[in-house]
Amino acid sequence: MKFPKVRSLRIGGKADAELNEFAQSMKPVSLWADAWRRLRKNKMALAGLFIVAFYVAAVLLAPILPIYHYEDQVISHANLPPSLRPAGEVMLETRVAYMRKMMKAESRTSFNAKEEADIEAMKADIKVNPDHKRVYVMGTDNLGRDLLSRTIYGGRISIMIGLVGTITATLVGILLGSIAGYTGGKIDNFIMRFVDILYGLPYMLVVIIMMAIFGKNVINLFVAIALVSWLTLARVVRGQVMSLKNAEFIEAARSMGASPARIVFRHLTPNTLGVIVVFATLLVPDFIMSESFLSFLGLGVSAPLASWGSLVSEGTATMELYPWQLLVPAISMTLFLFAMNFLGDGLRDALDPQSKNRA
Amino acid sequence: MTRYIIRRFLSLIPTLFLIIVFAFAIERLAPGGPFSSEKKLPPEIMANMLAKYHLDEPWPQQFTRYLGDILRGDLGPSFRYKDFTVNQLIAQALPVSMLLGALALIVAVVLGLGTGIIAALRQNSWVDYATMSLAVIGISVPLFVIGPVIKMVLALQLKWLPTSGWIDGRNGWIVLIMPVITLSFPYFASIARLSRASVLEVLRSDYIRTARAKGLKESTVIFKHVLKGAMLPVISYLGPAFAGIITGTVVVETIFTIPGMGRFYVQAATNRDYTLIMGDVIVFSVILVLMNFVVDVIYGFLDPRISYK
Amino acid sequence: MTDEAILRVKDLRTYFNTDEGVVKAVDGVSFELHKGETLGIVGESGSGKSVTNLSIMNMIPNPPGKIVGGEVLFGERDLLKMPLREIREIRGNKISMIFQDPMTSLNPFLRISTQMMETIILHQGLDKKAAKAKAIEMLALAGIPAPQKRIDCYPHQFSGGMRQRVMIAMSLSCNPEILIADEPTSALDVTIQAQILDLMKDLTARLGTAVILITHSLGVVAGTCDTLCVMYAGRVVERGDTEDIFASPKHPYTRGLIKSVPRLDIASEGRLSSIRGQPPNVIDLPECCPFYPRCDQAMDVCKKKYPERRDFGNDHSAACWLYSEAK
Repeated sequence: MKFPKVRSLRIGGKADAELNEFAQSMKPVSLWADAWRRLRKNKMALAGLFIVAFYVAAVLLAPILPIYHYEDQVISHANLPPSLRPAGEVMLETRVAYMRKMMKAESRTSFNAKEEADIEAMKADIKVNPDHKRVYVMGTDNLGRDLLSRTIYGGRISIMIGLVGTITATLVGILLGSIAGYTGGKIDNFIMRFVDILYGLPYMLVVIIMMAIFGKNVINLFVAIALVSWLTLARVVRGQVMSLKNAEFIEAARSMGASPARIVFRHLTPNTLGVIVVFATLLVPDFIMSESFLSFLGLGVSAPLASWGSLVSEGTATMELYPWQLLVPAISMTLFLFAMNFLGDGLRDALDPQSKNRA
Repeated sequence: MTRYIIRRFLSLIPTLFLIIVFAFAIERLAPGGPFSSEKKLPPEIMANMLAKYHLDEPWPQQFTRYLGDILRGDLGPSFRYKDFTVNQLIAQALPVSMLLGALALIVAVVLGLGTGIIAALRQNSWVDYATMSLAVIGISVPLFVIGPVIKMVLALQLKWLPTSGWIDGRNGWIVLIMPVITLSFPYFASIARLSRASVLEVLRSDYIRTARAKGLKESTVIFKHVLKGAMLPVISYLGPAFAGIITGTVVVETIFTIPGMGRFYVQAATNRDYTLIMGDVIVFSVILVLMNFVVDVIYGFLDPRISYK
Repeated sequence: MTDEAILRVKDLRTYFNTDEGVVKAVDGVSFELHKGETLGIVGESGSGKSVTNLSIMNMIPNPPGKIVGGEVLFGERDLLKMPLREIREIRGNKISMIFQDPMTSLNPFLRISTQMMETIILHQGLDKKAAKAKAIEMLALAGIPAPQKRIDCYPHQFSGGMRQRVMIAMSLSCNPEILIADEPTSALDVTIQAQILDLMKDLTARLGTAVILITHSLGVVAGTCDTLCVMYAGRVVERGDTEDIFASPKHPYTRGLIKSVPRLDIASEGRLSSIRGQPPNVIDLPECCPFYPRCDQAMDVCKKKYPERRDFGNDHSAACWLYSEAK
């Protein structure tokens, strides 16, 4: 076989642009821009994002929103159902309905004198007392406190615990995970053994103990939960760091003289950030659930502070008679958790390069 | 393979040891011990009680004694229920919780796997969307919301089921339905999502392409080639799932007034009955650790890369 | 090599629907395969070689891909129009495929014996004992030492080269008429590559199997293939006997490819030569010759219309305006 003689191909130079006219698009697309594009297409994740944003805005702005203070009690307004009408009317209606039930139970067909007098007194009071003009959109609890306001403030506590806790757990997890992954050897072994052991414990039980011993306040609460929540993140970060540590581009950076610190910050971290963001987003609902769990059992925040968990706990006790007291906080919390989960799922799909081109 | 099992078994020991140390520390260090709620006692009686509970000995000795007790299975007297030992209390409550937990786990695994696999095979169909939406509900809504809501709907409104209680003279197995459904729901959801993702990933792999290229029937491809690989992540998840179920019993037993360990645990925590708390923790932890061990062994059997080094 | 064409691909078109547009991965590919012949399909990444072969056996994932046109005639029947049930009888049986990465192509959870026997039992109806014996025989042919023992092993217990031998043994166990090998040696060490290629040549010669060998390496092609298809941007730009093409490449792309193979027996004259530019993005290609941006001899007409195919005798043809009277 004869090969043609080698020729230099530098003749008749074509401009690069012309050369690459049909070339695959070389526009630099950063990981984030690409992920954002994909996220935007995911309707559920977007909905989740908006709902979360809405909630966060609501709880941040709570002090300046036109709602009643969460500690504000009007005893006569206890246990009113949700309504858009002024409290006075609702109160009257409820009381009268109750009296009618009593009447029926005693087989009477009309009110007696005392009951009539009570009704008149109430009507008079309503005309005079400005409190009765309030509107309780979500009803009230057993002490006459506005459920809407309590739910919003409860959300404040719950979301704050969720966010702060997640950030703490994330930072601890990243720190320990990257140390373990990058240094390897004995330190890695030690840290991972530690993680394994902690993993084996039923941690919620441990948290409960800690709350029992050290008292029920918000700080303890979130320290206790944060202490055991960094485990999965640490493992994940370690895994990522380990697989990237020996990747070729790291070798390249090292061969160009980059110091370990520079390698960790400029090269490793951006690549692991995607995974970290996904896990962190999914950690928030976890935290909120844990806190609610504790509050539900009476080991979380205590009165007069409210968190979603404690509100649900109160609601469970009265759900037969006043179902809204359970449903309002329950649905609010559930909606938020839903939204966060959808958002987290969407982020995971958006940042996962393997799910490109899903028709 | 045997080496793997032995290694796994040995790794249990530090965990258990740590738990016992922790239990000991809590019992001795925590404020509000057995006597703080009582009236001030005269010193001789105090001394007597201290001696009785061995609280006057130096710590290392106390710990050895404690360790010995634990290893013999004696979890000490209850601080609260003065007439009972922790062992007796737990012996009553444990079978209840175990039954509840085991049933919940079985339901979660069977339904979760089935749903996840079907959803994966019919990806993007209405079956897929419906089951995955249900799964999202399962992982988003906390147990203590699901429980009361189910109770409200099924027991109070529709009056299909009794509201509370456990199996005894009056109630048969029907009492189990609500608590088991409630407890299994979040784990059913996680397993469904996990198995769906796992099956989808396996379906994309090269060896499934090879299997199809060999002309195998689709059912053979699924049941012989896909399932084995897809199951592994689910098996791994069983350990944490079981841990979750243990914690879940705490809530479920409270809501449905079931006389199990979980309910005891909360009461003990509120009452600061430390021996009972610790007894519970130790028992739970031992069960959990053993369960994790069993899961690891099963995983080792299923994955030939481990059993045939 | 007789004149009997056992596989005729005519104007095959396979398109993919992606976020960015329609990718015309295969856009009018035609070739013929004769009994016992080894046909090489050469091209850069993205030229459509793998998609062509997956299309033959109707293994394109749908969505996002779809075979939108053409015929694939195996004997008298059009594979593209066959119901899945009948295609399955052909897969692994009359037409076999092996893939690039032997590490991931075998099921890590099943023994080799299971994986080999299932094909044999399915297509040849043998019982378990006979199937196992046949499988062991094939492993021996493929050069696996102590096959009776090793057949019960799992894939991870073999090395890369051994695994590819297992794949080859598995694919030939039902004595197929055609073996499609998609870059079978690209994932292997160079020394093993040579061994595997020799093995394939040997076995297919013995069994009379025709081979379609997909590769990006001209070195591989030179040693093993009787005929050659050069693909670019989803089309066949040049076709013919290997000897003819190497002796007298017609299409500028083919020429570029051949020139870029460094030769040890010619004193080097300066830089290594390569084809400038990048392989094209096949989304929304306009009507033209897709190679023109990188072609030194491009003319005006090249920018406007896809070139006609010109025949040079002995089945050697190329699609290039250089050889067309109408310009």
